[in-house]
Amino acid sequence: MSGDVIGYILRRILHSIPLVIGVSIIGFGIMHLAPGGPLAVYTLNPTITVTDIERLRVALGLDQPIHLQYLSWAKAMLTGSWGVTFFGGRPVLEVILERVPATMTLMGSSLALAIVIGTLIGILGAVKRNSIFDYLATTGAMLALSFPTFWFGLMAIYVFAIQLGWLPSGGMYELGEEGNPWDLLRHLILPVMVLTLVLLATWSRYSRSSFLDVIQQDYIRTARSKGLGERQILFRHALRNAVIPLVALLGVQLPTLFSGALVAETIFSWPGMGRLFVDALNMKEYPILMGMIMFTAFFVIVGNLIADVAIAAIDPRVKLA
Amino acid sequence: MAIKFSPTRRSVLKGAAASSLIVPVTGIYSPALAQKRDRIILGTTQEPVQFNPLLYVNAGAENIPEACLFDALWDVNEKGEFIPNLAARIPTMENGDISADGKVWRINLKRDVKWSDGQPFTAKDVEFTYQTIVNPKVAVRSRSGFDLIKNFKVADPHTVEIELERPFVPFMWAWQNMHIVPHHLLSKEENINTSGFNAQPVGTGAYLLKTRTAGSHMVYEANPNYHRGAPKIRQFIHKFVPDQLVAYGQARTGEIDYIGVSGVPFDRWAEAAKLPDRHFFPLGQPWVQFVYFNCGKPQFKDPKVRKALYLALEMQKAIDDVFFGAYKRTLSYLHTTHWAYNHDLKDSGPNPQLAAKMLDEAGWKVGADGVREKDGVKMKFSMSTTAGFPARQATQAIFQQNWKAIGVEMEIKNMPASVVWGEYTTKSQFDTLLVSWEPTVGMDPDYTARAHSKMIPAKTGSGSNYTQYENAEVDRLLEEGVRQTNVDERKKTYARIQEILLEEVPFGPQGGVYQGQMTHKSLQGIKPNQYVVDAAWNVHEWSWG
Repeated sequence: MSGDVIGYILRRILHSIPLVIGVSIIGFGIMHLAPGGPLAVYTLNPTITVTDIERLRVALGLDQPIHLQYLSWAKAMLTGSWGVTFFGGRPVLEVILERVPATMTLMGSSLALAIVIGTLIGILGAVKRNSIFDYLATTGAMLALSFPTFWFGLMAIYVFAIQLGWLPSGGMYELGEEGNPWDLLRHLILPVMVLTLVLLATWSRYSRSSFLDVIQQDYIRTARSKGLGERQILFRHALRNAVIPLVALLGVQLPTLFSGALVAETIFSWPGMGRLFVDALNMKEYPILMGMIMFTAFFVIVGNLIADVAIAAIDPRVKLA
Repeated sequence: MAIKFSPTRRSVLKGAAASSLIVPVTGIYSPALAQKRDRIILGTTQEPVQFNPLLYVNAGAENIPEACLFDALWDVNEKGEFIPNLAARIPTMENGDISADGKVWRINLKRDVKWSDGQPFTAKDVEFTYQTIVNPKVAVRSRSGFDLIKNFKVADPHTVEIELERPFVPFMWAWQNMHIVPHHLLSKEENINTSGFNAQPVGTGAYLLKTRTAGSHMVYEANPNYHRGAPKIRQFIHKFVPDQLVAYGQARTGEIDYIGVSGVPFDRWAEAAKLPDRHFFPLGQPWVQFVYFNCGKPQFKDPKVRKALYLALEMQKAIDDVFFGAYKRTLSYLHTTHWAYNHDLKDSGPNPQLAAKMLDEAGWKVGADGVREKDGVKMKFSMSTTAGFPARQATQAIFQQNWKAIGVEMEIKNMPASVVWGEYTTKSQFDTLLVSWEPTVGMDPDYTARAHSKMIPAKTGSGSNYTQYENAEVDRLLEEGVRQTNVDERKKTYARIQEILLEEVPFGPQGGVYQGQMTHKSLQGIKPNQYVVDAAWNVHEWSWG
């Protein structure tokens, strides 16, 4: 890596510091401005009086002015623990990190499959434009994008887990089989299938249009007139150029590896970040929500940075400045 | 251009080899066949986040670790009777453990109980539990009943003596709902709210927490030294399946043995009851669903008007159409199966003609726009509940139609739980609410917090009388009820309270909440108990048949 690139990366990291602070202030502000709050869950418990709720407000530090609450959160964030949860008093970082492996496994497998299959479908669709395959792929992608994930998920469970009994309906491992890779694979099939289907639709559409762009360029015609074989044209000349916008797309999708899938994780009882977020949101667990916002913001920045550097590496027209 | 597909012998063989791998991966999945009889898997849609029984409790989900790991002084059984747990016997006036004036309680504790780390359980633990409950720095979920304690004394290592400010019969319920925590561990903690104990608890309960996999499940092993006898099932697993329909699916396939808490979806009850090898039973939950009227608003000040509005509602139809008949109609804040329920109450609704007549008599005449009005105030209001709860929305829609028919306009205004149950409720800002609530001190019929005029938080800053209801006779009866030790006398007091409440309707009861529970048929010892929210209340008695 040249000194230019390292300098560029360092500059980008420095630039992103105010961005991260901005995200944290906006996130914190919106969360606290939204009506309701973590103490509302206590109202539903009839043994808890208004006096109890006031006492809890003080015990959780929610009686402090919002800027002081922000500062104490920021201090906890910078000193390592990321604060403690309202309900249970556990360090937020610990709560988040225990969910990361599950989400990375699920999202990583789905994204990898979607990229490989989606790109192939896209290439084939572009090369055989307006063929039956192309129409089918286009219609399929539209359907996959239009149907809600929860419907796909419930149907998959109904068919493969309940009616056919081939696959487990949810969870990451059979109880007592923790760490068994075969068992993990069985549990991955349904949620990965559902998530891949949706991601695949996006990837196939992007790669198709990117490929279409490229194969209509003059240099492809030149290559063909030089007498190069179709395979060489496709994979050596077209693919390298067509892949550039896809790298940018990958940069955008990278954070989902860590932020997880809200609906699919709930339907398939997948113990990942998406579910943590849904649960924390329901209970207004500000410390967990803030931790997750920061965690995701970090990977958005990193994902974009990686994409930019990678694009510069594969596209000589792009210079990192 | 054309890409030729020309399979060679080698590529076909490769493909065959690869596809052979797929079969063992998918296989035929039948966990029921592999079911291990030395463990039980209980599934709930929610996940407990902390296991200290004194801190926040997410009703249902967090009661399960509480029941597995900890013990209270006494439990309440399926008949509503108190049975000793850590206490050696139930204190009563007859056995002399409660003084004649009802103020001094002596509690004798069992002598052979040990914490799971081997330390003996003593009166110090009970004292420490009390001290923690009243410690303002600890985010204890409730002090209800404990705030009446004037004096707490450890008489000897196995006896405590408690003096109350005034006699309070529901005090039994306060302890039933509070599990005892270990003094020798928690007294050393600087901050109990964030203590590591809350994730790695040590209790006296029937099970010991072995592992917890966040978002997935918790594994418990039987406590061989449990003071009520070691549990018959070696391993207890609490599994979290967030989607209710999926949880029901898992209960069908045998991936879970017992679906508790939110249970079988209402629309699947008929199907569940017919499943072979499964035992389905509707279980009464402590909650009753109500329409709450804010008596502080001009539309609802007159009891006659509230009664008329209540009479217009098709309560049973809403139960049948929306909850598939799963809820049971009640006319009081208690289930009809509660020992204190007043069976003389009569359901005179729905009667829209009478309702319209009563509104006319009360001076609410139909205006030019078809909506009733009086002194410039329109009979127009909103009804709120938790958003995204389809059954409640459908119920609201039925009520909206019922009221429209008598010239009353109701607007549905639902909000997220954290909004609607926040100050909107506690400061009585709502018009009407659709809500399910249980009695206020365990399942005791005492309803002081919800119906006494001194318990209006918008006025007095304490209590949970969010309807702002005031009635001097109800106040007097509520005060009397908590002093009466004779059950028959208490029954009469609460019967009269229920009668007045049905006449003046600060809150209009719709139905007692039921949930559909389903277990594997050979799982035995489960005692459906409507007096607790806790599916695992008697987990130490469960066994495989």
